[in-house]
Amino acid sequence: MTVDALSVRGLSRNFGNLVVLDDVSFTLAAGRIAVVLGPNGSGKTTLLRCVVGADRPDAGEVLVQGRRADETDPQVRALVAAALDDIDFFPDLSVVEHLELVAYAHGGDAEPVEEVLAELGLEPARDQLPVTLSSGQRRRLALASCFVRPRRVLILDEPEQRLDVRGRQWLADRLRRERDAGTAVLLASHDPELIDAVVDERIEIGR
Amino acid sequence: MSAAPATIAEAPPGLPTARQVRTHLRRARRRHHDHSLGDVLGDAYVVVLFVGMYGWFAVSASRDVLVSPTVGRADPGVRWWLAVAALLAGAGLAWRGLRALGPLLVTPATQSWVTSAPVDRRAWLTPRLGVLLAGAAAGTALLAVAVAVLSGVTDLGAVGWAAAAGAGWGAAALALSVVAQSSRSGRRWPTVVGAAPMVAAAVVATVVVIAGRLGDAPPRPAALPTGALVAVGVPLAVLGTVLAVRALPRVDRATLTTGAQFANAAATATILLDPSMLTSLVESRRWRRIGRVRSRRFLPGPAWWALLQADVRRLRRHPSALLIWAGLIGVQYAAALALPGLAGATQVVFAYFATDRLTGGLRAVSRSPGLRRALGGSDAALRGIHVVVPAVGAALWWLLTLPSLPTLDAGPTWLAPTLAVGVVAAAWRAGTRPPINYGGATVNTPFGMIPVDLLRQGSRGPALLAVLVLVQLFLG
Repeated sequence: MTVDALSVRGLSRNFGNLVVLDDVSFTLAAGRIAVVLGPNGSGKTTLLRCVVGADRPDAGEVLVQGRRADETDPQVRALVAAALDDIDFFPDLSVVEHLELVAYAHGGDAEPVEEVLAELGLEPARDQLPVTLSSGQRRRLALASCFVRPRRVLILDEPEQRLDVRGRQWLADRLRRERDAGTAVLLASHDPELIDAVVDERIEIGR
Repeated sequence: MSAAPATIAEAPPGLPTARQVRTHLRRARRRHHDHSLGDVLGDAYVVVLFVGMYGWFAVSASRDVLVSPTVGRADPGVRWWLAVAALLAGAGLAWRGLRALGPLLVTPATQSWVTSAPVDRRAWLTPRLGVLLAGAAAGTALLAVAVAVLSGVTDLGAVGWAAAAGAGWGAAALALSVVAQSSRSGRRWPTVVGAAPMVAAAVVATVVVIAGRLGDAPPRPAALPTGALVAVGVPLAVLGTVLAVRALPRVDRATLTTGAQFANAAATATILLDPSMLTSLVESRRWRRIGRVRSRRFLPGPAWWALLQADVRRLRRHPSALLIWAGLIGVQYAAALALPGLAGATQVVFAYFATDRLTGGLRAVSRSPGLRRALGGSDAALRGIHVVVPAVGAALWWLLTLPSLPTLDAGPTWLAPTLAVGVVAAAWRAGTRPPINYGGATVNTPFGMIPVDLLRQGSRGPALLAVLVLVQLFLG
């Protein structure tokens, strides 16, 4: 019997008496890419935040590789990489230092950092401080943080945002390679081209 | 060339320790700035000097006021028990503050780049817990010393016991709030711990005010119960610290970052002397907790009628504003008993605070040119409509608190209505404060260079309030 990389069971989240997520359930196998679809305000970002542990659901549970995804569990943090819209930067660390820090904290070395910098076109900005980056470069840096560390599950909230055409092409290619490497990818996206190009499963919420 | 995705099945065994990650981060950050230990100690010295100097000045000035002939005629028992109620209310508010902050927090950058990694959370948070415990113990010890001195204690030994009691209870509250932070959502005990002192404060204050006005005030105890407070507080602090250390691994990202937003807004508001940055965050969280409301059509009529209905509706959806408005009535009665010589002045101040709670609509239309454009009509008319609710609230509050004033403080007949109108004007000025402009001329103050415009706009409202208080003190 194979264990799903990611399982969400009966997840609910309310803001006061406003029901944002109502009993959401789905599973995602390793090497599959799923997109969360829904109109604005349907709770896509809230769902991803609950999966990652950035928000506490009112009911339900998330399992990562069969174990309860408690964000305080280091094992879970080692398995799940995420780029949500709440990312922030140390104002006094350069681009490359941010990535080296993540790689180091995950027990790795700086080896993948240069490759990821080159892949994301961040090499010219490697020594720049975050305040000097454009919004697109910041987005790329956020995405890069997911790729310099080990992962089994990848959570991305509208990763195509602020990326130019080449960036979007790279993103589609990167997600395919993640799938080939056995990573389960859960993303929220409004880009039909990206969705058609890479997505295996569609999870509709808020309809 | 592309990086092959690295994958793992379990957390890798070769993870760096929290200390190693902290050292790595510190070294990387040091490369980009040159803060020496001397700079840090210099900053700390300035803070200690500032707190010591102004703290002692505040305590000695307050003591002089309390023993002055006009203020000191209050019944000692009434004053003592009302001080107990104030301390209980302060403890409840402090607990709420600790819960809003976390109290453990990490900056959004640290969350994004460090604590999202499988770094041992207890080891990462333990130094922060230590600093917070020390800070809480020191802060509450100082507060307890101030309270002891204000209550007339001069014996050094007794002051020491008061400091120990304060430190114990401060550390216990901090440690227990960390335990609360680690507990799953829906647990009721943190709410109960916060509500209990508030309820106790309300009960004590109500009983004392009623008894005091009937001339049957409870007597003041012969001595401060510091021994008992130490006997309970210190063991509670030790137990709380043990529980807090055990709870550290369960403190999750959601609570660590929520508090950071609050702390960041508070720090920015303090640095820029603009409390609106903090109040807007508090406000947005409040509305988020409510989530959904029952929308209803406005009763037909002219535009001003719909806007007025909207302002009333806003207030009904924000009952805590009304609760504070009503609670301040009780506070005024208590203040009038404890500080009879200042009853008129406290009425002006609390009336301002009560009226300010009702100015949500005024603040909303004043801070947003876009909203005013969308609503149509002149700015003056829009602001005028949104001052109706605060004005009615102020008038009602004033009338309800008139019996709290001793007849001696009545003053000329025109004074009370003038002060009431002045309070509305002060709330109007604060509510219509434009966004602070940090440019323009600066002035050198003991706190550094401050833009003149910031002082002018920051004092909009409170400056008029100060004038009203002075008028009341001289003519009342």
